[in-house]
Amino acid sequence: MESVLYSSSFQTPAFSSQSTFHSNKFLCTPTTPVLPLPHIAKSRFEPLSCTMSHSAEADTKPKEIKLWGGRFEESVTDIVEKFTESISFDKQLYKHDIMGSKAHASMLAQQGLISLSDKDSILKGLDEIERSIEAGEFVWRTDREDVHMNIEAALTDMVGEPAKKLHTARSRNDQVSTDFRLWCRDAIDWIVASIRNLQVALVKLALKNEGLIIPGYTHLQRAQPVLLQHLLLAFVEQLDRDAGRLLDCKARLNFSPLGACALAGTGLPIDRFMTSNALGFTAPLRNSIDAVSDRDFVLEFLSANSIIAVHLSRIGEEWVLWASEEFGFITPSDSVSTGSSIMPQKKNPDPMELVRGKSARVIGDLVTLLTLCKGLPLAYNRDLQEDKEPAFDSVKTVIGMLEVSAEFAQNITFNDERIRKALPAGYLDATTLADYLGIPFRTSHDIVGRSVALCVFKNCQLQDLSLEDMRSLSPVFDNDVYEFLGVENAVNKFSSYGSTGLACVADQLGYWVSKLEINKS
Amino acid sequence: MESLLFSSSLQTPAFSSQFTFLSNKSLCNPTTPILPLPHTEKSRFEPLLCAMSHSAEADTKPKETKLWGGRFEESVTDIVEKFTESISFDKQLYKHDIMGSKAHASMLAQQGLIGLSERDSILKGLDEIERSIEAGEFVWRTDREDVHMNIEAALTDMVGEPAKKLHTARSRNDQVSTDFRLWCRDAVNKIVASIRNLQVALVKLALKNEGLIIPGYTHLQRAQPVLLQHLLLAFVEQLDRDAGRLLDCKARLNFSPLGACALAGTGLPIDRFMTSNALGFTAPMRNSIDAVSDRDFVLEFLSANSIIAVHLSRIGEEWVLWASEEFGFITPSDSVSTGSSIMPQKKNPDPMELVRGKSARVIGDLVTLLTLCKGLPLAYNRDLQEDKEPAFDSVKIVIGMLEVSAEFAQNITFNDERIQKALPAGYLDATTLADYLVKKGIPFRTSHDIVGRSVALCVSKNCQLQDLSLEDMRSLSPVFDNDVYEFLGVENAVKKFSSYGSTGLACVADQLGYWVSKLEINKS
Repeated sequence: MESVLYSSSFQTPAFSSQSTFHSNKFLCTPTTPVLPLPHIAKSRFEPLSCTMSHSAEADTKPKEIKLWGGRFEESVTDIVEKFTESISFDKQLYKHDIMGSKAHASMLAQQGLISLSDKDSILKGLDEIERSIEAGEFVWRTDREDVHMNIEAALTDMVGEPAKKLHTARSRNDQVSTDFRLWCRDAIDWIVASIRNLQVALVKLALKNEGLIIPGYTHLQRAQPVLLQHLLLAFVEQLDRDAGRLLDCKARLNFSPLGACALAGTGLPIDRFMTSNALGFTAPLRNSIDAVSDRDFVLEFLSANSIIAVHLSRIGEEWVLWASEEFGFITPSDSVSTGSSIMPQKKNPDPMELVRGKSARVIGDLVTLLTLCKGLPLAYNRDLQEDKEPAFDSVKTVIGMLEVSAEFAQNITFNDERIRKALPAGYLDATTLADYLGIPFRTSHDIVGRSVALCVFKNCQLQDLSLEDMRSLSPVFDNDVYEFLGVENAVNKFSSYGSTGLACVADQLGYWVSKLEINKS
Repeated sequence: MESLLFSSSLQTPAFSSQFTFLSNKSLCNPTTPILPLPHTEKSRFEPLLCAMSHSAEADTKPKETKLWGGRFEESVTDIVEKFTESISFDKQLYKHDIMGSKAHASMLAQQGLIGLSERDSILKGLDEIERSIEAGEFVWRTDREDVHMNIEAALTDMVGEPAKKLHTARSRNDQVSTDFRLWCRDAVNKIVASIRNLQVALVKLALKNEGLIIPGYTHLQRAQPVLLQHLLLAFVEQLDRDAGRLLDCKARLNFSPLGACALAGTGLPIDRFMTSNALGFTAPMRNSIDAVSDRDFVLEFLSANSIIAVHLSRIGEEWVLWASEEFGFITPSDSVSTGSSIMPQKKNPDPMELVRGKSARVIGDLVTLLTLCKGLPLAYNRDLQEDKEPAFDSVKIVIGMLEVSAEFAQNITFNDERIQKALPAGYLDATTLADYLVKKGIPFRTSHDIVGRSVALCVSKNCQLQDLSLEDMRSLSPVFDNDVYEFLGVENAVKKFSSYGSTGLACVADQLGYWVSKLEINKS
């Protein structure tokens, strides 16, 4: 992926010497070419074999000379061309490629490396290409390898000579790293927006369910009563750290590789600070070899995505559990559920199952990237072309997961009555009772443990024990003990910072409503 | 891992009522116990069974009642005990567990939840336990499950009653999250120190090899000449971002879960801000359920480690290549090489091969953690016990990789002469030549093509670009002039680079100056 330019051998009659050179060689040895034989017609045009393997849009065209054809005698085989092409996926980068080219062209003009009128032709041409891509009119050609070459070649077709100067002091190596950083920067903004959206959905769900107490679990065994709001805000906290990781990643990747060229920089008087500014980067990257060879920004991005995916898989698990007959905490609306092809009664929470499931892909994408980058020598290696599809997939999947989770949150109803009925089971108030005793905690833990054993034996709840029963376990129990029993009492007793106590949760909720600028009305 | 305490049933005669309750039951049904039968002697003491499976130190002791034994009738089976124990690895957390307990005890005293003299006994006891652990005298017991229970039980053995109050308003859930965050914070600092150390070694290696030009590669094909210093500083840049990721991770994990208790907080008047401050945390975590159930800080940490490992694997690959006969750029000293058991001539760069290889483990540790956390419901799940070994492994391996890379950097010599001799091959000056034509006003895509054909001509003549006659070159483009030879040859080519961040002499000197000053390297 070095600096590669259009071969001008068949297009610029100005350099007549080279044409002569070619024709001579060709005429001398038409069947058994001798080295060097740049640009012999035979190897450059093989329309018959092309037709077999090229994509439809290129079928009828002769095989075009590669932009880097200067020292090559033969064109690549069709199998190699198909195996190495990236245009089928990297065309996603078109917007950022054009953005980078425009900044580069403006800088070249400012530095006197191209004329102002060349710059204007280039900018106008690039605008037109962008328009035609967005209108779906642009023809992507596999024989033009990738997004960079497709756009540059199209620009040359369109504006001619000035386009040939665009690649001055630039390589595809710094170009693709620039494009990809710009793309990742945008992708992070999209994901962060989706995170905010899900956070808002969760906070609104919390606001709708004020005061609802649900069992809190550890080990999936009933543990302590908690306010549903408190639990939903735990997810909001996790998502906030997720956004923080992405924003840190964005700050770290937002440096410009443009002008690092192939790997060593250039001797032409470019201004890397100007392009860096124009593209909204913080500064140019300090070391050109580093700039073109590393993909740690993608690794960091996909790591952050994987952590998001794991968080969302946990929400998925929680809500799938809650929607089961056995839990019965929530009823998803029909609009976010699907049925079974055979069992007429089924209403499945498929979106959240898929949220749980798709996390696997996001982790897989990260592992692909880590494996990809392992053990690569400096500087650019073609392996790095494989960085894009996993990144695209990771971003698309994570955004989908975030969006559907928000949608789901907006479409579930909590079955208050059923939850309330089920609450007394499970001794959720046991820890509160232990706190009540005011004797060394390890002793009180033991006394309450034995109270629970007594309840199991009597098949009753703690609040159903008589004072006499309790006093048989410890003389400390008094009539006021009943103020600590039962889930409502238990929840009311929580008071520590960050706890499930009413006031504490109200504080948390206030924090998020204000931070996320939620209009409560 | 809820709040659990020592059973007092066999130890506190004060609660005589419970004995009565138990004995009655026990007497009624000596052979077929009826529920509930807490604390029957039968289930609590099974010395014969224990002796078979317990670790040596516990062999002769009867099976101790679990701290959370209140509602239990039977003790766990030996297979379950062995399968679920974590003391064999989480004892690594002892320092941070003790640190957390001391902060917690001081806070409990300040809030009037324990007496000042009780606090003093606890603090003194914990100091003594720390000393005995560090002296290797402490006996870790598998039947006491984990580091938290081992230390708490030992404290009770030592100071008695006051120790029973230590777990007030605390659960192992918030305790382990606190311990582990403190441990990770220290580990991040250690790794960052190792990163700085490797950066310094690389910069010093650069300082030792001023002016040395080597071939720069892309696709492992010769591309452009670069200063060795420039290339070494590329690694330094990567390592700097690695350190940045770790420091971001540290800032994000440095919030206190202590006081979140089991999952819902507590009604006792604790002061979470006090413990948070005492332990150097930024603030207490805002949500108690979040505090005990999430391990995203470990995921982030191991992700950062994986990226470091990938970076180091690339240095490993580079140096293994360079040490090969075919490249021959470097000679590692004997002190960082190993031989072959059969081939007498061999001197292998094993440390850097292992750096490349061990990166696989670090990635594996991350994948373990991601898989572990996937799909867990709230709040604490025992699965999370499995987070420690991969984290310990990841940190140990990464530090090892960093240290050995620094050692290697200090023990390689560049074979200047051999590199110099090999430099003319590969047309490293071709891009500079293309830039020459651009400076003469030729569009770059045209100049690229002209130089491409010049290279083809060299291939046919079996010579270098600088060996072409002006006539040869003019046959390809009339623009070539006598001054072209100032752009040919690697020394000339390197000198022509001038863009910011490029391999030009002045640019690299700037970079080097930046790092010497940032890393506070004494150049003398």
